[in-house]
Amino acid sequence: MSESPQLTYAEIDRTILDTLRPPTGGYWLAIMALIMGVLLGVACWVYQIFIGIGAGGQNIPVAWGTYLINFVFWVGIAHSGTLISAILHLMRAGWRNPIARAAETMTVFAVSIAGLFPFIHLGRVWLVYYMLPYPNQRYLWPNFQSPLVFDVVAISTYLIVSSLFWYTGLVPDLAAVRDKATGVRKKIFTILSLGWTGKHEQWRHYTRGYLFFAALATPLVISVHSVVSWDFALSVVPGWHSTIFAPYFVAGAIHSGLAMVLTLLIPLRKIFRYERIVTMKILEAVAKTIIFTGLIVGYAYGVEYFLAWYSHSAVEIEAFRWRALGDYSLEFWIMVVCNSLVPLLFFFKRVRTSIPWLLGISILINIGMWYERFVIIVGSVAHGFMPHAWGLYRPSGIEYGIMLGSFSLFFLFFLLFVKHLPSISMTEMKETLDLGESHGD
Amino acid sequence: MATDISVIGLFPDEQKTAAVIEAMSGYPWLIDRVHSPFPSHKIFDALKLKKSPVGWFTLAGGILGFFTGFSLAIYTALEWKLIIWGKPIIAWIPFVIVGFEFTILFSVLGNVLGLLALGGLPDFKGLKQYDPRCSGGHFGIVATCTEEEQDQVIEFFQNQGGEVTIFE
Repeated sequence: MSESPQLTYAEIDRTILDTLRPPTGGYWLAIMALIMGVLLGVACWVYQIFIGIGAGGQNIPVAWGTYLINFVFWVGIAHSGTLISAILHLMRAGWRNPIARAAETMTVFAVSIAGLFPFIHLGRVWLVYYMLPYPNQRYLWPNFQSPLVFDVVAISTYLIVSSLFWYTGLVPDLAAVRDKATGVRKKIFTILSLGWTGKHEQWRHYTRGYLFFAALATPLVISVHSVVSWDFALSVVPGWHSTIFAPYFVAGAIHSGLAMVLTLLIPLRKIFRYERIVTMKILEAVAKTIIFTGLIVGYAYGVEYFLAWYSHSAVEIEAFRWRALGDYSLEFWIMVVCNSLVPLLFFFKRVRTSIPWLLGISILINIGMWYERFVIIVGSVAHGFMPHAWGLYRPSGIEYGIMLGSFSLFFLFFLLFVKHLPSISMTEMKETLDLGESHGD
Repeated sequence: MATDISVIGLFPDEQKTAAVIEAMSGYPWLIDRVHSPFPSHKIFDALKLKKSPVGWFTLAGGILGFFTGFSLAIYTALEWKLIIWGKPIIAWIPFVIVGFEFTILFSVLGNVLGLLALGGLPDFKGLKQYDPRCSGGHFGIVATCTEEEQDQVIEFFQNQGGEVTIFE
């Protein structure tokens, strides 16, 4: 679909580099509000460090509360960046180009924030070095048979790989910014771009290396959320001990990540006037992918019930009955409606080509996916094998403060990014310009 | 023969640049490098470039990572033995996860190392003989020639519709 005449190289540069101009007062106001949110989160964490982990609402039987929910939520958000950058790159899907940079950036920030939650949940955070494999006088080593140690290895690998992938993709664009900049800014971008000049020898190795990056990131992204799912599935808790967990978590992660891409891109497109670059066709392609992931997630919800019934296990059947009809039924139905039913509205072209609908549905999916983690994590341990050990959990004010801090930190990082670095890859846009693919046509 | 003069011909079109590179094959001047704002397969074909060997760095990193991951898991299990129900201390199946993650991590580190080493990065000296328009919308062919051939090269680029700059 051609909404307007073909873009030119100069127009791509102008549109994207214009976003790096000095910001307006509204931008600084948003930055200030987000800093306040981050400070609130930090204050709550500091309070918890002094008082003890009991400052949060977690207690027996629900020892894993919002800290683990937010950990899984942010790891999930991080997944679509790699899907869009790596998997769609390997599939030569041209519509990914205008949104890949924002998605990759989202990945790096989301993994960094996810990585904070195990520290927060640890309570005595200064003992985190126990997780590191190093020779020590206690002859104590991490247990590499534990899914929690798998997590440390997988998340650290994902953070390093996604950061390097992001930076490698940025280098040619940093050189483009350097070539238009003056003064101190030019010096900074000269160092950041590593003296890149775009000569054919550099491109020859770059294209090959980038392909390997994508090929390696694809199995990594699948492994990371599978490993996260095994934090639960390798236990014997009813509602957790299931072989469906790995694909179920991976699909859910991509579902939430795609929704977050829409949530971030739609305002970005409006504020930076990216309408000719991030066309409606591209937003529509993301919406269609959300239908697909939403159907997988809905299927997984159904299969969980089927497996519980088919197992003939009274405990498993009770766990799933209670999920839908028990104390957390509201959370359960929010999850089902927001993640599986609402995305089906994207089947209607009028819905998936309407900006308010796209934004509204993407926010609902984000909410639904947060509740999915609540239902899985809290709902299972709250209603386990022994009726005398059942109990309920509600997050404390400290937990809400830390959660607000994490969301503020994510959006703060993203706002700083969009005003200091190119938020759309100029190189990839130019590369596919003649093919019409960067338009999403 | 001294070849100490670099002449850059700037072209605004990828197709045209590839055609000029092909046309240059009949002349004695050497193409030192071609700058472009994005990776162009038309230019790669015109220059008859071979596949990059960066994959060997990736492979070496992967092999190193595979053995590092498994070795770390096995070594730590042997150093701190957790014997549960007589199960083997070296548990291969969970160690596959550690081995896999290390394989990916070291492959990527090898890949980045390969990119830097083969691409000659960081290279701040290269900016002295570079036209900044090449990161925007222009393609630059840099030919090296002797002082006597300089005028011919300039004329050639101009005849092809290029804009010419000389680097000493």
